[in-house]
Amino acid sequence: MPMYRCMIPKGSLNYSQRSEIATAFTDVHCGISNAPRNFVHVQFFEIDEGTSVQDSHGAGDLKFDTPFFIAGGNRAGRPPAVRSQILDGLVNRFCEIASVPKSDVSGYISEAPASWSMEDGQILPEPGQEPAEWYAHDAVAD
Amino acid sequence: MIRFQCTVQEGYVPLELRGKLANSIEDCCLTVLGSSQGPVTVNWIEIPKGFGFRGGQPSSTSQVRGQIPDGCNPDTRALLLKKIGEEWCAITGAGQDELIVSARDESWAG
Repeated sequence: MPMYRCMIPKGSLNYSQRSEIATAFTDVHCGISNAPRNFVHVQFFEIDEGTSVQDSHGAGDLKFDTPFFIAGGNRAGRPPAVRSQILDGLVNRFCEIASVPKSDVSGYISEAPASWSMEDGQILPEPGQEPAEWYAHDAVAD
Repeated sequence: MIRFQCTVQEGYVPLELRGKLANSIEDCCLTVLGSSQGPVTVNWIEIPKGFGFRGGQPSSTSQVRGQIPDGCNPDTRALLLKKIGEEWCAITGAGQDELIVSARDESWAG
């Protein structure tokens, strides 16, 4: 379920940087949420001149005025402080790997109920209600 | 009005299958939710190779995300997700571990 879409200027990040950011985002998300690593999705979209992107989880048109933007979508139910902690961690790691100042990166994390999504053939559990076998998903190769 | 957006990784869902997949999503919606809930629209986004990752590794996973009318009960929603997933995997040959299906209320504001 965790999905992070990165809006980036065309040609601004090479494959190595994108791959490193994807791994770093997985580390950040799983370090805070305990979600299986294999459930963290990161995508990059090169844009010519972006000012907004349609949210994946229903928050409408997300406007931004920075060259880089992180649009996240997670399961609902975590405290707002945790959502902020995740976003701060993503922005920090993005800036380090992309070698850009924090003023160039903004982001937003929206949420939707877990039961509205199915992954690996199973309806997702609510945060904090994950059965032990859920973590077997880390063994799923992609 | 029902809207679905399918995000696929380059090289994993051939163009020639997408019409059949869109038709199957429409059929699943109208069968499970009722024909009065239509029309159903399906659009596509393709992630270029090297731009999509899962667990930090290159991804083969497709995401089928929809908006459906408010008021769907949990069992019906789960049935819809399951049917779309089964049809998708049957048509593409993908495994369930390569697919995410979701359907949120159209009024949900994230």
